Amino acid sequence: MDQLPRNFREYWQETLAGLARYPASPELEAIPLRSTAFATLYGLRLTSIGPYRLFGYLSIPTGTGPFPAIYYTPKYQSVHEIIPQGTANLQRSRYITFSLAGRGQRNADTPYAAMFPGLLTEGIGDPTTYIFRGILADSVRGLEFLLTRRELDPTRVVVVGNDVALITAALTGGATHVVTTPALFYKTAELAARTQTYPLEEINDYLRMFPARAEAVRRTLAYYDLRAFAPRAAAPTLLMTGAPGTLLDGQALKPLIDALAGRVTAHESEQSLYRDGLYAEQWMAAQCGIDDSRSILPEHWRD
Amino acid sequence: MPKAVSTDYQSRVRKPDDFDAFWEDVLRQAAAIPLGAEVVPDPLRTSNDVEVFEAFYTSLDHVRVASWYCRPARRAERAPAIMLLPGYQMDPPIPKEWARKGYIALSVAPRGKLRSNRQFNPGYPNLLTHNIVDRHTYAYRGFYVDAWRGLDFLLSRPEVDGTRIGVAGSSQGGGLAITTAAMRPEVRAAAAGVPYLCGIMDAIELTHTYPYEEINDYLRLHPERRTEVETTLAYFDGINFAERITCPIVVNIGLQDNVCPPETGYALFNRIGASDKQLDPYDGHGHDGGRSRHGAIVDRFFAQHLLNER
Repeated sequence: MDQLPRNFREYWQETLAGLARYPASPELEAIPLRSTAFATLYGLRLTSIGPYRLFGYLSIPTGTGPFPAIYYTPKYQSVHEIIPQGTANLQRSRYITFSLAGRGQRNADTPYAAMFPGLLTEGIGDPTTYIFRGILADSVRGLEFLLTRRELDPTRVVVVGNDVALITAALTGGATHVVTTPALFYKTAELAARTQTYPLEEINDYLRMFPARAEAVRRTLAYYDLRAFAPRAAAPTLLMTGAPGTLLDGQALKPLIDALAGRVTAHESEQSLYRDGLYAEQWMAAQCGIDDSRSILPEHWRD
Repeated sequence: MPKAVSTDYQSRVRKPDDFDAFWEDVLRQAAAIPLGAEVVPDPLRTSNDVEVFEAFYTSLDHVRVASWYCRPARRAERAPAIMLLPGYQMDPPIPKEWARKGYIALSVAPRGKLRSNRQFNPGYPNLLTHNIVDRHTYAYRGFYVDAWRGLDFLLSRPEVDGTRIGVAGSSQGGGLAITTAAMRPEVRAAAAGVPYLCGIMDAIELTHTYPYEEINDYLRLHPERRTEVETTLAYFDGINFAERITCPIVVNIGLQDNVCPPETGYALFNRIGASDKQLDPYDGHGHDGGRSRHGAIVDRFFAQHLLNER
């Protein structure tokens, strides 16, 4: 990879130290509309670096725990979901689920409302102001909060998301498993030049408008490249790659796969949300010791 | 593999007697509101081959609707156009790839979406059940019209060939493509992927995933309102619009779709009025609807109908 920034470690230490200066000050409120016989949903507010007040959806299964947990890290989209679209609601009967809106997403869009496209290049000219510095701190704060829940089984905590999931697990302790679908921070500048598709197209747009900032953009992105975090990513990881021949297919991601410190299962996309989704659901269930995963699959995925 | 889906699934939705009158009244209200079309160049997103604009127009209840408007940098004096309609949770994309194929492309952000949420913002989840007991104020009344008014915006543009306009979308965008093709005779061709908002009351029993699960949440808290909910949704169900569609249309569904049950896709397709209609069901696929294979079919379909390619 491009050379690791000399102060890579300090950059992230300072970020986490800045986060630690603010107490999370969580505020939980039950949401009866989204609560069921098998799970109670809470809206959660908590503070991150800035200070910035975030929002999350926390779902706790009915019954006596401890329960495994799925932590859905902030996404590259404005909408903030309770659980991802298409996930069986019954997932909430077996797992604690916690979905965090990073700064800029809905429910956490005051004072900053992100644009899509727009988020990936917000403040990208300077690593100290880059928006993802805050979003990564948000994501770490979310995991820290989840680990405080008494209903949680701390030996079964799956962190799920795009690049943010993997970086979060590398930056802080507590993730026992990771499901990551890289989309933003793997050889970003290099791969952007080979696509016209968002989100990476944001980089092309930005550099077309501000060509003199190319080196600054490259410098900022070096703090976020997944390869830099790989040696610290020790949790067993399911890496969801693109389909063969796509920009982020298994072959393209092989250097990352090889560099990850933990055990890696790479799943190359079959270009089917059913097949890929089923694989991920069953992988998580197996890692968490849930042996009747069929019962918490969407109806149209069951045998 | 999961069990097979019935291809002759019968939706239980019934068309209200005053369905047409209801929508004619809504259209009349919308027509009285000036379009107020505006295009603002977006130099950041513009490239050598595609010009990008932010576009705006006014819709029902005077809500200002945002959209992305893309033109091929090199084009004939008047070009065919495609209107792209967004999924439930997605942020409307900048449709540069359609402009690269030779179309003028409009990607609409109906009310409540990012950039169109200053006057109306029920949030996600919530949009699907916002005022669901009253068809006159239900969220999708304005939301549907916002999509339909996109046609008026395109027709107002001198560079658009008004005789060659198509609509396309998947999921909610597929549902909106259905209602738009039904209500706007200017639509010459439509592609509806994994259509949402079709067989709605069926879907909430066939699947328990969001966004349809919003309705189950609502009815669990307010079981006494089921009749009103069912009554309202009958006015908005794509199946009740389908027989009005006369333009060529292609529909794709995933047989393992966990979001928009394939049963409702079959029920919709069987009710589409057009004689030139095609259904592509994809086994082994979920809410992607076989996009990796179906994309080329949609490209050929629009090229044939809008670019006049054989």
